[in-house]
Amino acid sequence: MVHRLGPMQTLPSPMRRFAENEIVDYCIVGVGSAGGVLVQRLARAGFRVVALEAGPFWDTEKDWVSDEKGSHELYWNDLRITGGTHPLALGANNSGKGVGGGSVHWAAFTPRFHPSDFRVYSEDGVGADWPISYWDLKPYYELLEREIPVAGPVWFPWGHPHGHPYGPHPLGGVGDVLVRGCTRLGIRSVAGGPVAILSASHGDRPHCIYRGFCLQGCKVGAKASTLITHVPDAIAHGAEIRAHSMVSRISLRDDGRVDGVLYIDREGREHFQRSRAVIVSGYAIETPRLLLNSACPGYRHGLANSSGTLGKYLMAQAGNVIAGRFDELIRLYKAPPAHALSEEFYETDKRRDFARGFAVQTVGPLPIAFAKQMTAAMGAWGWGMRRVMMDYNHWATLGVLGEILPWEDNRVELAEEKDHYGLPVAKVTFNLHDNDMKLIEFGKNKVMEIMWAAGAKQVVQESRFAHLVGAARMGKDPATSVVDKFGRTHDIPNLFICDGSILPTQGSANPGLTIQALAARTADYLIKQGDAIFFSNHRDHAEPVIRYDLSPPYTRFKGNPRIA
Amino acid sequence: MSRKSFPFRATGGDLRDLDQPGYYSGYSTMAQQKSWDQATRDIVNGRVERIPATHLFSSEEAALLDAVIDRVMPQDDRSETRTVPILSVIDERLYKNALNGFRYDDMPPDQEAYRLAIQAIDEMARSRFGQPFIELTVHRQELILKSLHDGKPDPQHPAWKRMPVHRFWALLMEDCVTAYYSHPWAWDEIGFGGPAYPRGYMRLENGLPEPWEKDEQRYEWNAPVDSLSELDEEGVPPEHGSLHGHGGTH
Repeated sequence: MVHRLGPMQTLPSPMRRFAENEIVDYCIVGVGSAGGVLVQRLARAGFRVVALEAGPFWDTEKDWVSDEKGSHELYWNDLRITGGTHPLALGANNSGKGVGGGSVHWAAFTPRFHPSDFRVYSEDGVGADWPISYWDLKPYYELLEREIPVAGPVWFPWGHPHGHPYGPHPLGGVGDVLVRGCTRLGIRSVAGGPVAILSASHGDRPHCIYRGFCLQGCKVGAKASTLITHVPDAIAHGAEIRAHSMVSRISLRDDGRVDGVLYIDREGREHFQRSRAVIVSGYAIETPRLLLNSACPGYRHGLANSSGTLGKYLMAQAGNVIAGRFDELIRLYKAPPAHALSEEFYETDKRRDFARGFAVQTVGPLPIAFAKQMTAAMGAWGWGMRRVMMDYNHWATLGVLGEILPWEDNRVELAEEKDHYGLPVAKVTFNLHDNDMKLIEFGKNKVMEIMWAAGAKQVVQESRFAHLVGAARMGKDPATSVVDKFGRTHDIPNLFICDGSILPTQGSANPGLTIQALAARTADYLIKQGDAIFFSNHRDHAEPVIRYDLSPPYTRFKGNPRIA
Repeated sequence: MSRKSFPFRATGGDLRDLDQPGYYSGYSTMAQQKSWDQATRDIVNGRVERIPATHLFSSEEAALLDAVIDRVMPQDDRSETRTVPILSVIDERLYKNALNGFRYDDMPPDQEAYRLAIQAIDEMARSRFGQPFIELTVHRQELILKSLHDGKPDPQHPAWKRMPVHRFWALLMEDCVTAYYSHPWAWDEIGFGGPAYPRGYMRLENGLPEPWEKDEQRYEWNAPVDSLSELDEEGVPPEHGSLHGHGGTH
């Protein structure tokens, strides 16, 4: 059977299968935004790599549908407990399951972080500094923008100004509202990206058809996910992706190094995958959960948790949705939800009474998501729900994407409840603090102002949160962070974490591109270190040389334009 | 069906037994299915043709929940043959324990939440009006449900000490709108394009219809004049973090 990835691409076959007792070089836990890039790089460099994924290995033609409710299986739907003063919705809101992970259902906005994001504590006295700077990551941003690749304006004026390799997408109704409202208020905006959706075909992937089902998995193959951008190349270079493999525990040897992972297959059988090093890429809930569930003598409070910070400093971004009703028709279901934005309010402004800022972005909820928003934003029910939904085509929706600072009390712990594998599930606690609430209030009001300026006749809003990062943060000091600047745990020399959970702060940029850029950088480091990772406890903190020769096909001869 | 038609003033009087409510007369997403992919065609046709049996709820529980659904997601204007199934969809989700990925720490499991609420709503009806909920007039049913919507259960009931009433309301609304607005007849009603692969769209700006879509034809649409569930500008509920099960948008 041919395994399809979009209408043109097929999965390389046969895929290498390592024998049950074979020792591999790297075992990667989770094939999402980071895991997909890591497995591709490490396989190309000649390492023996197995990547374990808890969910299925999608055949996009058979498994995915152009239907909102029918796409429920793309999400991490297993039980988690959520609480705190402002509990986070999980599942469809921010958690993927299956090869590609969250990159299957992201909207694919790909703004870079700003240089200031890496120095929040130095500049504002809040949050934390990163152990690296924007300039360490910049070449990886540029490389990933070519690999996945990113469509957008030739001139993106905020942060470190830059252009995008593929041309911008045409404007949809919601993007038009954003540009119109911003322009009337003198706020700069860009349209047509940056977004990891093809505006022209790319190798064996066709361009976007503007059907608006980005969050339901892109059957077209136009929207980037590691399932279609990096995993096929990984398999072509000898990696094994083992789907339906839920890792339950990381195994620690007496000498303080890990030697593999225990995982459970779809029939409920337990296996042990031996490996010389382990990289956990399970994202901000499952990564800390796995390490906490791997507690053992010497690490009673979780593996690699001598600092006590594992699970702490979890972040989500403010994601308030502002909906405006217009006399004219909008038809917000057309065009990618992600296609216009403004970062005019991204940086700290001393005239405001809070640190950091927010972005303004288009969003495009399909009918079920929009009806849920109307439940919250208007209190709609009964005949009122029927009435407001009959006007679905008259509404436009814009999102606040606001930076919430890392706080120690926002955290992932283990709950008493267990999942169907018998593993304790994650308990997530989320509280807003003073700076966060001031920022959200300001951002919400600013976007409502933009919506009114665009000509809306009615404006309502719903409070919500978007994305998840943190909970295993990187830092220079082993006493206050879990991993170093390359994702290596401070405690265990051959155990790495590489995913959104290592971010010390989150900016007001969607985290996907940054996660992938960090993964490519970690891969370069591992490749340069070679066998030393497997046999030595020495930590070499020298920067790696960027490997331009390890990109997937169709990356060469593409460039990042720049208008001087 | 526990569904009761409103008196004649319902849905503006003349809006009854409609095959297709809404402003897009003659628009049919199902008529477009030749241009959909097979997997999508299968799932949407299955939704229209197959109404799952009720497994989880007892017949008494099902009757009460059906009466609640008739008020929170009313379809009295629709003809009997064009009524979108909701109760059976909720029952199926709970029976299969198809979770949405999380539970609030102040909530029981979804199945238990529904059972608690069903019992509470019936006891509230008996205590306030001396009758079971399903025998109340539509107006009295709405009075009970509106008090839950407003977060001020009237009369009070111990169930709302065990789970926050706003969380149950969000759960109920989420399940109801998911069932209703996943159905192609609801897409026709609101003018949504429906499945769009592999054809896609070509008119992105200015709300223009594709050749196979319809222009909006507005008319005065009236909910029943005495309904308590009409939109109320003052009726926005207080905020409680994210809504249960919210689909991502960013």
